[in-house]
Amino acid sequence: MSQSRNGGNADAGGDPPASDRFEEDVLALVPALRRYARSLVRSDPDGEDLLQDCVEKVLARRAQWRGVNLRAWAFTIMTNLGRNRHRYLAMHPQVALDEDLGLEAENRESDPLERSRLERALNGLSSENRSVLMLVVIEGYRYQDVAEMMAIPIGTVMSRLSRARRQLAEAMKDDNVISMRRPK
Amino acid sequence: MTEDFNTVSEDDLHAYVDGFLTPRERQRVEQWLERNPARAEEVRQWQAQAVDLRALFAGYARSDARDRALLLSSSHSDLPQPNPGRNNGKDTGSAIRRLRAIAAGLALFAAGGLTGLYAPALLSADRGGRAIETADSLPRQAQSAFLVYASEVRHAVEVGADEQSHLANWLGKRLDHPLSIPDLSSLGFSLVGGRLLPVNGKAGAMFMYEDGTGRRLTVLLGRNDDNRETSFRIDSADGVETFYWIDGPIGYAVTGEVPRNLLQQVADECYRQFDKSEATGS
Repeated sequence: MSQSRNGGNADAGGDPPASDRFEEDVLALVPALRRYARSLVRSDPDGEDLLQDCVEKVLARRAQWRGVNLRAWAFTIMTNLGRNRHRYLAMHPQVALDEDLGLEAENRESDPLERSRLERALNGLSSENRSVLMLVVIEGYRYQDVAEMMAIPIGTVMSRLSRARRQLAEAMKDDNVISMRRPK
Repeated sequence: MTEDFNTVSEDDLHAYVDGFLTPRERQRVEQWLERNPARAEEVRQWQAQAVDLRALFAGYARSDARDRALLLSSSHSDLPQPNPGRNNGKDTGSAIRRLRAIAAGLALFAAGGLTGLYAPALLSADRGGRAIETADSLPRQAQSAFLVYASEVRHAVEVGADEQSHLANWLGKRLDHPLSIPDLSSLGFSLVGGRLLPVNGKAGAMFMYEDGTGRRLTVLLGRNDDNRETSFRIDSADGVETFYWIDGPIGYAVTGEVPRNLLQQVADECYRQFDKSEATGS
């Protein structure tokens, strides 16, 4: 199995008993999983929900883990949960929940309008295209890894990546932003 | 157009953007891009996109005081209720979980308050959220105000242009921000008057202008509790264009059914005059 750039960090030390170690390994993955969860959904509460769903599933299915690359396995589970969620929400539209859990990124210096524009553009992507884009761009997985994780041919990975990038670029076109002229 | 001995595939371009090429391959792609400016521009956009996306979500990749609880509650909740029926209880589960998360957040906030560690981060996150809300809803509110009032012949405004200084004082007081009403005569628009309007649930101000042919435009001001500045944005809906921006405590929106370049001149002019009046504190 090919290794991702930052995959396979499931650690090599072996002190605690096996069951605890699995949980510790999962715990160590939580930050990365939190980021990936948030990158798949529309709001912070949705991201935390998806994260919890994923952790639950990972723990419930630990017997099915083949012992290789826990990170990629957890990301696959998250990807599928994200897709189900997307489908569920498409059939059961809900009022957006935007209560603030104080979980947002700390780095908030960037233009809030620019961020919300990017988020809106992302929300226009299909769940499949969005997952591929996030796995590659944010999580740093290689195309072959993504293909394995999503159980799709590499050609499909490439076409999804391509579609996601084009659609995002189209939505983010600069022609509706005019930089403010400061008269001083 | 393409040279057979040196073509670059779409996949190569993605691999280039994602840093999966060897130095030699990179060089080949770069040489090809030099000869294909349109694709080079596209690649540049993809690169910028990647940077923005990473920045957007980077802050989430962190551990949280709640993480261990997440793990524990997961393993417990899975014991009594094995696999399938989860979908039924999904909504309640989510709601409970959300409450739990809020409670944890509050506890964290309280703890942070004691140490002074978490409070600033939480507060700034909250402010960021509100700014987005304001920014998003401003053009929509401006457009509906325009559509409602610009079509009014006799009651378009509450206070007419003949009482301009009263208008400025009154609305400035309600907005809790010193106001001077922009003079748009250089662009052919004269003041019709103004009115008080709710903007984001607070007192806001609207000024209406008209040109010699009866074309109208409105300038809307609403409070923005977040002290931020943004660049100019444009939003159009049904032929109505809105330029909007946030400058410190006030969000501004200029709306009209006029050509975009004219509306932009109006927005520039308003920005310049509001900025000046602020500087002189008048």
